[in-house]
Amino acid sequence: MANEKVDVVIVGGGASGILLAAKLGQAGKKVVILEMGPPLGLDDLVSSQIWSRRLKWGGVPVVSEGKNPVAHNYQSGWGLGGAAMHQFANWPRFHAEDFRVKSQYGRGLDWPISYDEVRPYYDRIQKEVGLSGDHVAEVWRPAGDPYPMPPIKWFRQAELLAEGFRKVGMRIAPMPVAINSVPYNGRPACIYDGWCEAGCPTGALVNPQVTYLPVARKAGVEIRTDAYVTRVLMNAKGDRATGVEYYDKGKQRQVQLADVVVLSAFSASNPRILLNSSSDRHPKGLANSSGLVGQHVMAHITFSAFAMFEENTENHMGTSGAFGMSQDGYVKDSHPGLGSYTWTIGVAMKPNDVLGFANSQPQLFGNALHDFMKRASRSLARIGVQAEELPNAENRVVLSDRKDAYGFPLARVIHGLDENSMQLFNHIRSEGDRIVKATRAKETWTNPNPGLAHFLGGTVMGKSAKDSVTDSYGRTHDVGNLFITGGGLFPTIAGVHPTFTLHALTLRTADYMAKNWGGIAA
Amino acid sequence: MTSVHRRQLLQGAALGALAYTVGGAQVLLSPREAHAQGVPLKVLSPDERTALEALGETLLPGAKDAGLAHYIDQQLSVDPSEALLLARALGVMPPYANFYRAGLAALDASSLKIHGAKFAALSPEKRSDFVEQFRQKNPEGWSAPPPSPFFYFVSRGDAVDVFYGTVEGFERLGIPYMPHIIPIRKW
Repeated sequence: MANEKVDVVIVGGGASGILLAAKLGQAGKKVVILEMGPPLGLDDLVSSQIWSRRLKWGGVPVVSEGKNPVAHNYQSGWGLGGAAMHQFANWPRFHAEDFRVKSQYGRGLDWPISYDEVRPYYDRIQKEVGLSGDHVAEVWRPAGDPYPMPPIKWFRQAELLAEGFRKVGMRIAPMPVAINSVPYNGRPACIYDGWCEAGCPTGALVNPQVTYLPVARKAGVEIRTDAYVTRVLMNAKGDRATGVEYYDKGKQRQVQLADVVVLSAFSASNPRILLNSSSDRHPKGLANSSGLVGQHVMAHITFSAFAMFEENTENHMGTSGAFGMSQDGYVKDSHPGLGSYTWTIGVAMKPNDVLGFANSQPQLFGNALHDFMKRASRSLARIGVQAEELPNAENRVVLSDRKDAYGFPLARVIHGLDENSMQLFNHIRSEGDRIVKATRAKETWTNPNPGLAHFLGGTVMGKSAKDSVTDSYGRTHDVGNLFITGGGLFPTIAGVHPTFTLHALTLRTADYMAKNWGGIAA
Repeated sequence: MTSVHRRQLLQGAALGALAYTVGGAQVLLSPREAHAQGVPLKVLSPDERTALEALGETLLPGAKDAGLAHYIDQQLSVDPSEALLLARALGVMPPYANFYRAGLAALDASSLKIHGAKFAALSPEKRSDFVEQFRQKNPEGWSAPPPSPFFYFVSRGDAVDVFYGTVEGFERLGIPYMPHIIPIRKW
């Protein structure tokens, strides 16, 4: 079944797809978003870590393999709003050096753009959605406008942990967060109940449902949920995208024609759609003359160190993100293991779920676990890390032998940490151990193994089809009216959380598309 | 709302209400209530239930009465895209019943091989010793997948969910629940 042709069809109703739709809708374009998941609303954001799992991936299974499998389901989202519905809202900027890793350090990849080209978009986004932080205290921060709101409130846990950082001679600052410390743009201030991961229905935390979705709707963007896109459709010549094929809730095949096609699904799904769109003219998959579609999948290396204090840490208060940060380890070659990292200081904790305090001592069970839960609920504190994994072509999305109900192969993600990443992790673990031991806590411990957060790369941007899938705007080198947005574009992932940069890049793409529409859609 | 009324509402909401079939009619009960009322399970077999409850009680005493088996069983009966199970977040391949069936079968098979009896028939001390063994690596007779350390991690997480991840569980720990939206809706 064919639907009326539109200017733009956007595959995926997550942070980048909704932002792009809002801006193009405001520019007068007729836009349709096809979202695979259900039509979530703020009423669905039930305050429970158990309920929070309904915001995690619930679509066609993704096969995750390798020495260090990426936690695809935990990182991705399900339903309108996508992964940003359960984001922790830590929003530091990338640094200038993050955009030129290969030329500066001889490893990894370069971005085709510099920090200076992205900076105006960071500034615009932080003003539009609202960020809380202290740009002066962040001595490591690249040039940028001051944050529009003061930092969020610190509770006792953060103060106690900050002592450890100070004692080992490390500088700290408030974490810049996409959470209102004061009312902003008609949205209320945070009340610090720590339910961010379950989705924030108050609007204090930036999620697409309270930022760009209302803008998109007002601009006339049409949103179709339960719409499972399988392929990009091409013209007979094979040089222009004509639309996409999808299956609706009733399992009926549909076609949405458009002048411009944008893939804004998750970083595992975009390569899958491109690879499943192979044809005689594109035997390796669409937009894949480079052979790089699916390659260079990356995740942040994570680590936690814990301290059990003798006083009440108020650890039930705060946000799922962090109170504070330190980037004294950000310079990539200043320590063993090339790569940047950011310490996160203190976080609101719940008893259960992946990051609940029960899992800070996963070896405990029986009555020993009960005893620990009682102590931890009053006195536990945690520091964490987001560390940079360098791109590695061996870490990739490929098509699986397993297929979905329509005969399309599933995505298979293969990922492992290399020796450089393990060197970096071991350095971080040692530093983290020193920090928590420098606090007044009598009992401290560290995670023995690296964790992984976020899911980035797989459709990286670059200067030409020799080294990348898209240009700096996410426009594929091979098909001029086919774009990609989101974290899959990142050639390197820096030592910070990705969501701010994802927003800034998407806004830059929106500007470019609106200004160059004739050349793109023609 | 008075504080008394609010408290009653929250207690009633302890784990949220799940849809159970009682006498042919669908009713909303917490897993603890479903367990107490002896609501029949839909997916797990009697042997699987016995093993799951014995494991849950070893991992976190009180999990059985909190309705661990009823929680898991009800969640195995819904579409995977609706599921609230930790297994979903951890990337277990649906249908999730396969994961639990394989894990519980491996638990009993290994227990039989090593101790000569199924897990639930072991003494509490032997159960704990066996858990300490299989949480670290596959024991003899454990037919992976899932590997025993991962099955331990998920099962332990389930027990923590039903016992502590609820309004009632927060009260046990003396920490305020502070919900924006209370989990009282049908799961």
